Amino acid sequence: MADLLAPLYALVAQILPFECMQVRFMQQAMVGLLLLAPMTAVMGILVVNFRMAFFSDAISHSAFAGVALGLIFAVDPDWTMPLFGLLVGLGIMILQRHSRLSSDTVIGVFFSAMVAFGLAIVSRDRSLARDLQRFLYGDILTISDGQVLCLAALLATLLTFQALSYNQLLYIGINSSLARAHRVRVAVHQYLFAGLLALIVMFSVQAVGVLLVTALLIVPAAAARNLARSAGRMFWWALVISLSSAVTGLLVSAQDWAATATGATVVLASCAWFVLSMAISALRGRADA
Amino acid sequence: MAVRFEGVSVVRDGVSLLEDITATVPRGSCTAIIGPNGAGKTTLLLALLGEIGYRGRIRRDSGKTPSRIGYVPQRLTFDRAMPLTVDEFLAMGFQRKPLWFGVRADLRRRAQEYLAMVKAAHLAGRQLGALSGGELQRVLLALALSQEPDLLLLDEPSAGVDFQGELIFCELLDHLRRDRGFTQLMVSHDLATVTHHADHVICLNRRVAAEGPPRQTLTAENLTAIFGVHMGLVNSRSMPDNRTACTAPCCQGNRDG
Repeated sequence: MADLLAPLYALVAQILPFECMQVRFMQQAMVGLLLLAPMTAVMGILVVNFRMAFFSDAISHSAFAGVALGLIFAVDPDWTMPLFGLLVGLGIMILQRHSRLSSDTVIGVFFSAMVAFGLAIVSRDRSLARDLQRFLYGDILTISDGQVLCLAALLATLLTFQALSYNQLLYIGINSSLARAHRVRVAVHQYLFAGLLALIVMFSVQAVGVLLVTALLIVPAAAARNLARSAGRMFWWALVISLSSAVTGLLVSAQDWAATATGATVVLASCAWFVLSMAISALRGRADA
Repeated sequence: MAVRFEGVSVVRDGVSLLEDITATVPRGSCTAIIGPNGAGKTTLLLALLGEIGYRGRIRRDSGKTPSRIGYVPQRLTFDRAMPLTVDEFLAMGFQRKPLWFGVRADLRRRAQEYLAMVKAAHLAGRQLGALSGGELQRVLLALALSQEPDLLLLDEPSAGVDFQGELIFCELLDHLRRDRGFTQLMVSHDLATVTHHADHVICLNRRVAAEGPPRQTLTAENLTAIFGVHMGLVNSRSMPDNRTACTAPCCQGNRDG
């Protein structure tokens, strides 16, 4: 598996000839982030359009319970966490579609239940708490070759899904009744979207931690909204912002003068983009007036 | 007939919104559903669209398979901050290629044609969220027409539309319906619109109070019964003669009677 990825890591070291990029774990982290960034960018656009920021928060917080279950049943938490997140995501979508409760209420119930469940299990065994800290803050620098390959497979799946469904998902985001009247299969798209989003959120948790995962989705999309005037351009802006933030964040965090957590630095880089986009949007508004 | 409601009932949270609705929408007609607020007019449209559950049966017979529905909602609630141009909006239901790669040239031309049809060609490059209520209604009508529907559903088509827009809606739809042969089913509060453009009326107040051509249904007695007050606005003599002709079985019965 390592041989498979070695040329890719070497390429990254060549393209980014910084001293910090000459070590293997940094190359792995860069490849991991470059795979994750396009996924969070494109899903972030739809999360913002669907107003599903709270949904991604609930999924990320179910990471505790997913990890705890893995540790209890002696299964690698890196696998139980995404699977558990997927179940929670689909559970929320089923309840949202079939309950009269508001979307926020349904997600709030899941959110509370997941956090309480995770904490209850962890509180039984103090030694588990140390393992969970890794998921609270995330650590992309410890990403394994197996996880990189999983991200590559997830990216391929997501891009295929988006290439086939992006327009329909935008349509549903505008108004699901209108989309249904136009023969868009709303339920199928919503379930597939929720499932893929849950998986991406869980992989993002490993990179930036539970606390910052929603920022990774929302901030590039929000900045892209300020800059773009069409749905097509919003996609490209979100992609540029997400990728550039990932590269900048990792490189800056590895500098001696910074020595900051990678996930937090990536999010700060995209927040800088957001501030810039607000300024551009304000200037543009003044020019239009 | 294009649509037949058979014993349709809708109950939500223990409250009965529609009770045993049996009514017909004749094929090729302009059928209006009228009634006071809370009468269940929009609920009936939503049941037809499959948006809400109901008891009973709704039969659709377009003569084509699959039949196509165009829908113009009363008010489109959406995130107005979303960057989306009008031509992207009109293309997204037809274009398989993601909008990241732009709108296909033929779909852009098609969008332009339908916008021109509703006198809104100048809106093509504008952002959807920046449109006024009337402009948005025209764009929604262009979208519904571009689907080349067999059945066009309009929920309060003149709500939020200026006077000129209302005229365009009514005259244009009359013309297109005759030209393309689709069936139009609209919910309306506006009795003037109904009397001049509908050729079949369903008077609703949770139940069907009356059904038939405007001249026979929009009587002072019926309107007083469903609206609860005397409606002196409609003068059945002012109705165009051609609005009295309706092919629905219920209307045929009325005529015979």
